[in-house]
Amino acid sequence: MSDLPSLPRLNRNGHAKLAQLCLSGLPFSQVEVDSSRYTSNNIFGGTIAHRVNRLAVVFYCLGTLDLLGVLESKVPEAARPRWREWFWEQQTYGKYGTGFRPGPYMTPEHNEADPNHGEYDVPHLIMTYTALLSLAILRDDFSKLDRPGILHFVRSCQQEDGSFSALPNGGEADLRTTYCAIVICSLLDDWSGMDLERAITYIQRCSSHEGGYGQTPDGEALGGTTYCALASLKLAPATTTSHWETRITPAERARTIRWLAANQLSSGGFCGRTNKVADACYCFWCGASLDMLGAGDVVDRTALATFMSQCQFKFGGIAKAPGERADPYHTYLSLAALAVFQPPDADESWQLPQLDPLWNATLDTARWAREHIPARRSPS
Amino acid sequence: MSAEFEDVLLYAERPEWADVTPLPQYQGVDALAPINYSAEYQDATDYFRGIVKAGEKSPRVLALTWNIINMNPAHYSAWQYRYKTLLAMGADLEAELRLMDDFAVTNMKTYQVWHHRRLLLTALRSPAAAAAELAFTARVLAGDAKNYHTWSYRQWLLVHFNDDDEGGLWAGERAWVEELLEKDVRNNSAWHHRFLVVWASGVRRGDEDREAVGRTESAFAKDKIALAPNNPSAWNYLRGVLEHTKTPFATLTSFVELYIVSDAAEAPEVVDLDNPAPTEGAQLPCVHALEFLADVYEQEGGEQVAKAVEIWKSLANEHDTMRKKYWEYRIRDGLQGARA
Repeated sequence: MSDLPSLPRLNRNGHAKLAQLCLSGLPFSQVEVDSSRYTSNNIFGGTIAHRVNRLAVVFYCLGTLDLLGVLESKVPEAARPRWREWFWEQQTYGKYGTGFRPGPYMTPEHNEADPNHGEYDVPHLIMTYTALLSLAILRDDFSKLDRPGILHFVRSCQQEDGSFSALPNGGEADLRTTYCAIVICSLLDDWSGMDLERAITYIQRCSSHEGGYGQTPDGEALGGTTYCALASLKLAPATTTSHWETRITPAERARTIRWLAANQLSSGGFCGRTNKVADACYCFWCGASLDMLGAGDVVDRTALATFMSQCQFKFGGIAKAPGERADPYHTYLSLAALAVFQPPDADESWQLPQLDPLWNATLDTARWAREHIPARRSPS
Repeated sequence: MSAEFEDVLLYAERPEWADVTPLPQYQGVDALAPINYSAEYQDATDYFRGIVKAGEKSPRVLALTWNIINMNPAHYSAWQYRYKTLLAMGADLEAELRLMDDFAVTNMKTYQVWHHRRLLLTALRSPAAAAAELAFTARVLAGDAKNYHTWSYRQWLLVHFNDDDEGGLWAGERAWVEELLEKDVRNNSAWHHRFLVVWASGVRRGDEDREAVGRTESAFAKDKIALAPNNPSAWNYLRGVLEHTKTPFATLTSFVELYIVSDAAEAPEVVDLDNPAPTEGAQLPCVHALEFLADVYEQEGGEQVAKAVEIWKSLANEHDTMRKKYWEYRIRDGLQGARA
């Protein structure tokens, strides 16, 4: 790959600036654009448009600052208590247990006296995952976390087929929501919130003939949901009947690696489905999947970074493809992909901290989460 | 579109809404990533929170939720409440589907649009309504042949109703997929759908002879490969069929050998229907055929692995250099397997 032109610099300041701009306020028209543009690939290639989904935007922005190592300077300790407080305000309690909602958009004013959620202001599984990680990035001490309530909530989302619905009383149930349930239990280090065997069976049913996993059992193989499936199978602790090595047979593993590798196109970027064009977010979903399968070697890092450099938007941020407009979702996932696959011989602008590919957080943030989210066990 | 959608009057200004107490949204502390809502959106959602609190389920709630989802198609609480209202009113659910048709086409990338239809069809429990939905999704896919949500919905309809009677829901699927592949042989969603219909969803009526089905499908994929040899979707389907039917890859050696030559003129003169030759002008050798043949050698094991390694080297260094890393990985993996 020595014939490739040398990489331009990673525009760290520009990317941090986009994250800060989005944190400081989204004009309505911007959000309109976002909700239509993100709907096909919002967190894991699914859909919750950002109009009701402030929490996801905040997560991408905080994650971006964390990866760029500028959280200390851009969100100083003095400013953090109010940020944390905003997240804790999204934690709601009620008959379905406790979890986080995407924002207070269904919460009436002067409702502080009644923290119990109604049927239409219930917690959301994807938001709960997002909030826990965001709070870990903000180095919260998690003293306000209602752990038994969260486990109750996760339990109330599990469906007959083993999958989890986004809401305890409805909403989509697929690999994205199932991944979130698994991460939540893994963050809490407590698996009493689910029937693990049924969840694993559901995930395995989503495997497609191509080697990737569909969003649901009959769906076409898709990069984002393949990531969700593999990370879930890896995060789920060993049971009496299965563990990571038995959850995917060697033949399945080979087939999945083959499909994932084929998704890296001549541009260096990854596509999310066979015969589709490259999109920056799939560099993370497919790349991290290969890494989890112990096949990170098959990724052409130089080509990947070249593609990313072309996706950089001149005013900051990273777009899904060269020439497109940047947004927080693609900015965060592109940096996450680069953190897993550092380009060799690149200048220092491309240096990013190591990432935990399963939780999708920097190692420092993951360590903080591990130390603060699980219930303290009394020494026995 | 109903009149209230074009009406510019705020709910706060309409006398017929005067009995509802609007509930402004709680803003909370120093809202992170605040969204500056438009006055219309803020007004409508204030009244929606009021309605939800009062528990009202009436025709005007349908008008209000319709207004909100037009402004924000992803407002899942508005969808949820609308659905509950329809049920409570005993509304005509098929009329609701028709109302939503254009909306679904405009907002086909919004999950809620399809989830709503799924709930309606579940409540309707009508195969006839499901058949109408198959026709509707076919129209949507005619405009955007790869829309994931639309495909998911269609697949759900088929599996949920599982109507395998003569002329039932499954009956026309294979012919329809063939039509789509006629238009675009690289449409991976259509290939995936074919795999679901023929293999992954059980045995369809008339498909009881699995060996015969295996031969037909293998021939179908080979014909499509002949047409466009460098189409990964068709190769993935072919591999899927072989793996599903536990047929050794080696049975297709004479077919793939037609695609590893660098000059199509070497193709035999006699037409072999089992082994269709690449179309004129095809780019050869075909990477997928080389890969396939290497897999055959690897499966055979022993000394044949050396032949596989030769092919992988040619892929890494000559025919598929952009995936050099993957082919190098295959060489390492193959040699390790041979030693084991």
